[in-house]
Amino acid sequence: MILQQIFDGLTLGIVYALIAVGYSLVFGVLRLVNFAHGATYAFGAHIAMVVIVSANFGLFWGFIASVIVTGLMTMLMDRIALRPLRIKKSKGISALITTIGCSYIIQNTLMIVFGSRSKWFPKIFDYGNFNVGGILVKSTQVGIIAVSVALLLALTYVVHKTKIGLAMRAVQQNSKAASLMGIDVNKVVSFTFFLGGASAAVAGTLISGYYQIVNPQMGFVAGLKAFSAAVLGGIGILHGAVFGGLVVGLAESLAAYYIGGGYRDAVAFIILIAVLIFRPNGLFGKKVIEKV
Amino acid sequence: MAKRVVLVALLSLLIASFAFANGSAETQKPIKIAVVGPLTGDFAEYGTGFKNAVVLHAKQINEAGGVLGGRQIEIVSFDDKNSGEEAASIAERIAGNKDIVGVIGHFASGVSMAAAPTYEEVGIAEISPSASHPDYSSMGEYIFRNNSLINVEANENLNMAADLFHAKRVAVLAVKTDWGVKTADILINDLAAKRDDLEIVGYEEILDGLTDFSSTITKLRSYKPDTIIVCAMYNILGPFANQYKDVDPNINLIGFSNAYSEQLIKLAQEDGNGIVLPAVFFHESPEAKVRNFVDAYMADYDGKIPSSLTAQAYDSLGMFAQAIEEAGTADRTAIKDQLYKIKYDGVAGQSYFDANGDAFKTFYWLRIVDGKFTMIDKTSK
Amino acid sequence: MKIQNPLNLLNTKPKKVTALVIAVALLLILPKTGLLSPYLVRILTMISLYSMLALSLNLLTGFTGLVSIGHAGFCAVGGYTSALMWQYTGLPWVVTAIAGMIVAGIVGLMLGAPTSRLSGSYLTIATLGFGEIVKMIALNWQSFTGGPLGVNHIERPVFFGITLTTFNSGFFYLSVVLTALVTLVVYRIVHSKMGRAFMSIRDDSLAATLMGVDVTAYKLKSFIISAAIAGLGGAFYVHFVRFLDPNTFNFDISIIIISIVILGGTGSIPGSFLGAVLLISFPEILRFASEYRFIIYGLILVLMMRFKPEGILGGHSNRKLRLMKGVDTYGY
Repeated sequence: MILQQIFDGLTLGIVYALIAVGYSLVFGVLRLVNFAHGATYAFGAHIAMVVIVSANFGLFWGFIASVIVTGLMTMLMDRIALRPLRIKKSKGISALITTIGCSYIIQNTLMIVFGSRSKWFPKIFDYGNFNVGGILVKSTQVGIIAVSVALLLALTYVVHKTKIGLAMRAVQQNSKAASLMGIDVNKVVSFTFFLGGASAAVAGTLISGYYQIVNPQMGFVAGLKAFSAAVLGGIGILHGAVFGGLVVGLAESLAAYYIGGGYRDAVAFIILIAVLIFRPNGLFGKKVIEKV
Repeated sequence: MAKRVVLVALLSLLIASFAFANGSAETQKPIKIAVVGPLTGDFAEYGTGFKNAVVLHAKQINEAGGVLGGRQIEIVSFDDKNSGEEAASIAERIAGNKDIVGVIGHFASGVSMAAAPTYEEVGIAEISPSASHPDYSSMGEYIFRNNSLINVEANENLNMAADLFHAKRVAVLAVKTDWGVKTADILINDLAAKRDDLEIVGYEEILDGLTDFSSTITKLRSYKPDTIIVCAMYNILGPFANQYKDVDPNINLIGFSNAYSEQLIKLAQEDGNGIVLPAVFFHESPEAKVRNFVDAYMADYDGKIPSSLTAQAYDSLGMFAQAIEEAGTADRTAIKDQLYKIKYDGVAGQSYFDANGDAFKTFYWLRIVDGKFTMIDKTSK
Repeated sequence: MKIQNPLNLLNTKPKKVTALVIAVALLLILPKTGLLSPYLVRILTMISLYSMLALSLNLLTGFTGLVSIGHAGFCAVGGYTSALMWQYTGLPWVVTAIAGMIVAGIVGLMLGAPTSRLSGSYLTIATLGFGEIVKMIALNWQSFTGGPLGVNHIERPVFFGITLTTFNSGFFYLSVVLTALVTLVVYRIVHSKMGRAFMSIRDDSLAATLMGVDVTAYKLKSFIISAAIAGLGGAFYVHFVRFLDPNTFNFDISIIIISIVILGGTGSIPGSFLGAVLLISFPEILRFASEYRFIIYGLILVLMMRFKPEGILGGHSNRKLRLMKGVDTYGY
């Protein structure tokens, strides 16, 4: 039974990791907690639902459409709401409040357009269940893990091995210097938001296909848990976000089993507060010395 | 200074707009009944059902000549968003409107209980078609429920487990809301404890709005149940059936009448087949009054099938109309007194109120077969 | 600031105190004119309550610069303390409400102490986590809090043998009096050494440290006072709607409070009133818009940050003025 919980927890964790890297990407480049990320995840799931269930286009096109539309939506959000704040050199907290506002706008628009009740979503990668050494493994879980790992590897590749990734890291270290070196900082930021939105869309589609249910409120708690994961691993650090996601998913699964279903959400929040208090830079983060 | 002027101007404007909003014209003729429920939000399906049914019934009564020799019934609807705060606020608005003589509504028990003190205080009868918390109807003499008590219905669930599935090992899953926890408590500690034909082998709770049931399912499976009674509405029973039947397609699932909704079938798809639940109303019943209601309802609302709570809302208006007719007046207190005396023969069976204001009803047993609710013949088992 | 003689609160700015007294008197007469239905009295009560909550958050966010989006958590602590204390002991509202304030203040200290070294966004997210944890405790500690069943039938406050209701406008009077007291306290704090310390932390905490302001201690004071006022608001609210469950004070409430502060003006006391009037009344006046109200709250946050981050009544003119006054009062 414990092995089963661990496996289910890791499946959940890998999806949290996928959401968490979205926080980390944006935070890494902009030092901004994109609070709207959870709502973006719900948005992606709804786009996929429209394409797959309502328009009957199938899973593949659902993924593609969801990734593109959601990525563009987050780029647009940055363009309309956040870039002007950077131009005005507003305080960081203004940008955070703006993303909180965006989160509310996205979530409540979804509620009005799609209704707030839960809706059915088809199961993805459904080829039956296997028994591996006493653990019940669903093909859906295998598919989710495979897609998530592939995507995480792709993201790592983009950030560490491509030119645009180099530009992202340059902006992360010093945006002014990067700009002086001829990097179009705005383009890099837009690209980062696109990546963040796209990964949220994939996560949203995967999770919806796993649990076969979609609703506009799904992003709030999932977003918070993924944020806890990102903070645990050290926000801004990709492999930290992945590790954090796995830990949060595992902790939640075990808590639901050993303490009771009512406590599962509390676990992630307790991890969040504890990390913020004891190690605000996360497990993999370096201590940042406050500049004087 | 300019800012202060703006501030004062805005404030006075707002207060003025309140004063005007308040001064609406009063007409004595129609008798107003309020219907309140969640018209938006997760439970909008239920609240919209309340409103639709009550509006339909009022239309039918009015077309048949109204009440008290030709007075029309007018329905005023409110959206309480299934929130206690909204409900309390709406209750005060209703209480303050002298034209409204009765209230049908509030969906969840907790929400109804947040509003009830106000209705009791000003003396306006509230009939909730859905509240099933045992303490609800004892909150005052103006507080009625046109729904079965939890313990009556929970007993039906246990009978279904025993008679339909010959269950020996029953697990219980409850949603962590006032209704879910209370229902599970009564089911396990009051009812099942007294039976020796079956045993409750495990109990789990889940948070409302949750979509991941994997840990809960693993835990439930460790109890090795043959049957699971799910104390939750369709929004949980549906996906839970999907996820549980994925790992154990042979499990027997029993729901409650408030999961009796087309949405349950939409969410559970083929995994919904085999789910059984008790209900006081069945939309395919051949009875003439049920056919009359269901056909009119489907004609008016794009072919939507009314659920049992919708039927109880429909009956609730009938009770008000009958009470007003028999009392011979549309006085709030007279209506309340008369409600205790009536015997109402509605689409959801014959009901009367006891001294507490609780209605008593008989149950149908329903089973989902090929994506449709069908009636189980209780005698053949 | 050491603990002051409370009577000193009345000592400053006789003109402003007079204005406050007149405003309160006018509001207290209002229901007697017969112009208001219970529904309107209720809305005015809610406006008054939210003004109080906004003032509480304004002290923390507008004056001290610590942005909290878990403020409903403090309301929940105050509300639960008061409701449960009533349930278990039957003590009158005044006692349970004060207990609610004290417990909320202690919780404020408990949250503030470990998080005071966090900066900006981290602190904000920590407050959000705090709000959710309070909800989880209320939901899961069923034997004590009632869990999802909540607390029902909470007794209304009784003063001099009169039970307060909306119909006798009692709740309205109580809320006006409480809000007036809170306004006075916040006004007094803002115009004291403590208030100047708060603002110095907000404007530049490093400079504040260099000038000898004990930044951590003042942040904690701001947390405690703000939490205690929010706790009072919660203790008022639960005896007003007479029903409390873990969802009563959810994240939406926190968002409404911060929207009020940001719209009305960070660091502006009249701003908190203006924000509350606008945001609490608009869903009632524009019934058709009530479905969209959370979109509108979201838009307000986004647009204000974009075009007027200091809010309608906040901002630089005020800040300059405040500095002038500060310089003045050093001469005592």
